[in-house]
Amino acid sequence: MINDLDCRGMNCPEPVLHVRNVIVKESPSVLSVLVDNEAACQNVIRFFEHQNFQVTTEKIGSEFRIIGTRADIVDTPKVSSTATAVKEPRVGIKKVMVMVTSDCMGHGDDGLGDMLMFNFLKTLKEMRPELWRLVFVNKGVSFTAEGSEAVPVLQELAAEGVQIFACGACLAYFHILDKIQVGEITNMLDIITGMKLADSVITI
Amino acid sequence: MTNENIRLTQTVKGAGCAAKLAPGELARALCGLDLPVDQNLLVGLEQADDAGVYRVSDDIALVQTIDFFPPMVDDPYSFGQIAAANALSDVYAMGGTPKTAMNIVAFPSKTMDISVLRTIIDGGLSKMREAGVVLVGGHTVEDSELKYGLSVTGYIHPNRILTKKNLQTGDCLIITKPLGTGIVSTAIKAGMADQSLIDKVTLAMATLNREAALVMETFSVHACTDITGFGFLGHLAEMVVDSGHGVRIMSELVPMYSEALEWADMGLIPAGTYNNRSFRGSFVDFDSKVPQRVQDLLFDPQTSGGLLIAVPANEAVKLVDALKAKGIEVAAIVGEVVAEPVDRIVVE
Repeated sequence: MINDLDCRGMNCPEPVLHVRNVIVKESPSVLSVLVDNEAACQNVIRFFEHQNFQVTTEKIGSEFRIIGTRADIVDTPKVSSTATAVKEPRVGIKKVMVMVTSDCMGHGDDGLGDMLMFNFLKTLKEMRPELWRLVFVNKGVSFTAEGSEAVPVLQELAAEGVQIFACGACLAYFHILDKIQVGEITNMLDIITGMKLADSVITI
Repeated sequence: MTNENIRLTQTVKGAGCAAKLAPGELARALCGLDLPVDQNLLVGLEQADDAGVYRVSDDIALVQTIDFFPPMVDDPYSFGQIAAANALSDVYAMGGTPKTAMNIVAFPSKTMDISVLRTIIDGGLSKMREAGVVLVGGHTVEDSELKYGLSVTGYIHPNRILTKKNLQTGDCLIITKPLGTGIVSTAIKAGMADQSLIDKVTLAMATLNREAALVMETFSVHACTDITGFGFLGHLAEMVVDSGHGVRIMSELVPMYSEALEWADMGLIPAGTYNNRSFRGSFVDFDSKVPQRVQDLLFDPQTSGGLLIAVPANEAVKLVDALKAKGIEVAAIVGEVVAEPVDRIVVE
């Protein structure tokens, strides 16, 4: 039988501080905590998860018992691990925004330019994880629409977490607004705020 | 006990605006009460705006508000400054000019030296002077826990009242201070915040919304409120409910204390955050990409937070630039008013 760490009657942040003290001093494999309010319960759960403990919660009347078990001694893998990995914000990673303003790369020969641009999009994944947002404007929006061989390439980038945006006004101008296959429709305000947020903006 | 070593936050249960009564509770207490009717009461309890407004003549209306709370920082002088800035803010958020103030004090004189009270009021006075406000009196009671604040009266032209209502599709939303003071206060209480952060957040909380309000006067602002105890999304919900419009928030654009994000992960979250979420969460749709800790910050109860301003899109960038030019560096467009979904907030 595990002894409960009794944190009833405590207001935030005290229960979390008590749990922290016990973990630091005794490094227990299992720790059971009793609290008597919802906020304390949520906070203790957060703290356990932050310390890589697996958590189960039991409601007893108006009180809560939270049991934390050190994740490395639990047999089953942490269910939420992939979900949290996706949600994890980009701490410390540079944000590069790439603007694709045409369906053709450079001037000279359009056939060559088309091929180069497609090759560019295909190779862009090498920029991960810094590649943060890909914005298509003017004729560039055609890459996001039905019929473009770039669609699966962009879908793959989107699945990896790259944000893909296509200019709504441009899609409408080329009459392909209803043909968009990948990414989200954007506007000039979003594009400008994206430029402010990004650490660097590359325009092709 | 002397001024030098007292830690005010250790003497109270709640911290700052995080100590506010849960919003649903207040609604329950007021529900069904017979409120006096007066045709000169332009903004009253029913609208639940930042301050009440009463018309005295065709040109002048009174703006009245009161705010007080337990300490959220340890230093008495700073606490006085923050409590005063917070109380004055409601008048600025209505577009008014504060003129007079009265102290409201609850003081534990059996356990705390009276010099602490003197220092708190001195801090409050410094902000009243900065605001051009004169102290006309006050009221002090003996209590087991310290609380301080102001009742403030100001002027406004009856035709130029800025309420929370009147959002229009295409408006941009601008905020003027970073979010996270509720969580930072909790970390201060836990002894986990370092002095440089405490100084930074204390300065932000003690900063009057006066400059922001003066800048705002020269733009076609449609609606305004100040962000305090109900948190950014709680106050935004008050603007959106029954507005006939929706709001889209781009969470990455919302200025936040990065340390507060870390502490949210650790569970250093005031109960007020959870209260705000359970009261107003039903109006908000979070995109699955918005991390939990960002959601927490968006509901975090703020002490003396910034203004939340709705302005037509074609003036929004100019307003942000004008705010920055007045030293409000953090001013940022954080979202827009959209036609749909009606009466809802979408956070991306």
